[in-house]
Amino acid sequence: MKPQGRLLDALLGALTAFGFVILYAPLVATSALSFFQIVRVRGAMGFAPFSLEPYLRLAANGEILAALATTLVVAAAATAASVVLGLMFAFYFVTARRTFGVAVQTMIFLPFLLPPIITGLSLLILFREIDFARGLATIVVGHIVFIVPVVYRTVLVRLQLLGRSLTEASLDLGASHFQTLTLVILPQLRPALIAGALLAFAISFDETLITLFVAGSETTLPIRLWAMMRVGFVPEINALATLILVFTAAVTLGVGLLQQRTVNRSL
Amino acid sequence: MAEPAAAPPSRRSGLARGLIWHGLNLGLPLAFVVVPILSFVLVSFWSLENGQIVEEFTLANYAAFFTDASYLPVYLSTVVLSLEVTVVNVALATAISLFIFRRSARVRFLMLMSFMLPLFMSYIIKVYSIRGILGQRGILNEALMAAGLIGEPIEVLLFSRTAIFIALAVIYLPYAILPIYLAFDRIPANYLAASADLGGSTADGLRRIVLPLGMPGIAVAAVFTFVLTFGDFVTPQMVGGTQGFTFGRIVFSQFGLALNWPLGSALAVVLLATTLLAVALAGLALRKEHVR
Repeated sequence: MKPQGRLLDALLGALTAFGFVILYAPLVATSALSFFQIVRVRGAMGFAPFSLEPYLRLAANGEILAALATTLVVAAAATAASVVLGLMFAFYFVTARRTFGVAVQTMIFLPFLLPPIITGLSLLILFREIDFARGLATIVVGHIVFIVPVVYRTVLVRLQLLGRSLTEASLDLGASHFQTLTLVILPQLRPALIAGALLAFAISFDETLITLFVAGSETTLPIRLWAMMRVGFVPEINALATLILVFTAAVTLGVGLLQQRTVNRSL
Repeated sequence: MAEPAAAPPSRRSGLARGLIWHGLNLGLPLAFVVVPILSFVLVSFWSLENGQIVEEFTLANYAAFFTDASYLPVYLSTVVLSLEVTVVNVALATAISLFIFRRSARVRFLMLMSFMLPLFMSYIIKVYSIRGILGQRGILNEALMAAGLIGEPIEVLLFSRTAIFIALAVIYLPYAILPIYLAFDRIPANYLAASADLGGSTADGLRRIVLPLGMPGIAVAAVFTFVLTFGDFVTPQMVGGTQGFTFGRIVFSQFGLALNWPLGSALAVVLLATTLLAVALAGLALRKEHVR
């Protein structure tokens, strides 16, 4: 490599390292503080020895656990619904007339492209207009609207990759439309559905900005954390943050590897 | 492809199925996406009197945006703040994407994953962690004090415009990296090989091939960053305190404590119009680029 190229790489490498540090340093610090709490001896800062105390307190914190349960219920319901809807919209896009397909696609992408604050407050106003009390159901609807495009997109990419020949072969060989769908197409879509569902679940699990508008008196975990952080510092938060980070990292890495494998196989 | 309607036993039920199929696919997005957006635009033309919403057309909320001293200045300063984050993040993301682009295929995937991972990590925990670093008793201050570089904690680190800038920049950096990297990734390798064969230097290749061809990705990154930072209302609240009042926070407060939905809707329309303008400008810039 020419010296000029090496200099450029050194510069870009430094910036990349900087980006890496600013992204991960806060997360690493939070996780570290869940094991080694900060203590102050006459104003000077020090660290307490390794302890799992924040985790034990977390396990005993009923409010956080209740919020976690709500979040899991919401994420499961929203993911299930968005898998069905995402699948339906993807089929619609490849079968319906182009203008209709594009119209539907544009509409379902909007909540993902617009700032969440717009999606949140427009749903809030819709629920008021139709006199629907805010609660678990409105949170689920808010999440579905936001995550359907994710599932739709992953499924559509796979569906378009499949092409028509498989369906035509199945129909030619005497399978019904229903058999073709369940025995030929759905199995082919399975990796895409799993990846889409996992991503949707992760996004729903984490959703904060739309939820703040449509939650009413129900609290999901991010909303509960938001409320706790406003009040002040609670050691359990570090423990919970660490657990959530590990969990989402595992899910995301899993999806990433799954996608990579699917892409490799289809090449 | 898979028509959900199996072979129709009669014309009539086939028609009914078709109607249900189209109705579901067009109706659900209409009901849950388009109607809500239209209804909040409608509410923005109503007004609030004695805590009751009066359903009569008025432009008073929009007039308030331009005349009331508490909205326009905040709006403008939020636009400037979001633009600052956009410029810095797009520049940094371009550098990072270039670095990843110049690695081997295996390293590329790993690096891209490591920069995308924070995208899926809890938003609220990221804000919280950044606040922990910046806080008056935060890690940065404590470390600087321990190192003897400062005697007193720097208060300006948290609850300031700088803090909002830093937090927004960190949280939304991955959103800028992804589109830029994907645009670079689509550039055929032989373009760069040809450039090198013809005597072009590495810098020539980057300046004349990679950056121009990556422009659509860079534009998308800029739009993403601007739209997301401009609409965020939790980050400014968490790290900005009473100092950092941004336009998103004003909109949100109209639906919370202030409870003036018509005014909040009008301000949200302004917010939406601003983000659409950003999208349009990016599109226009790209078309110009293309023509040239």
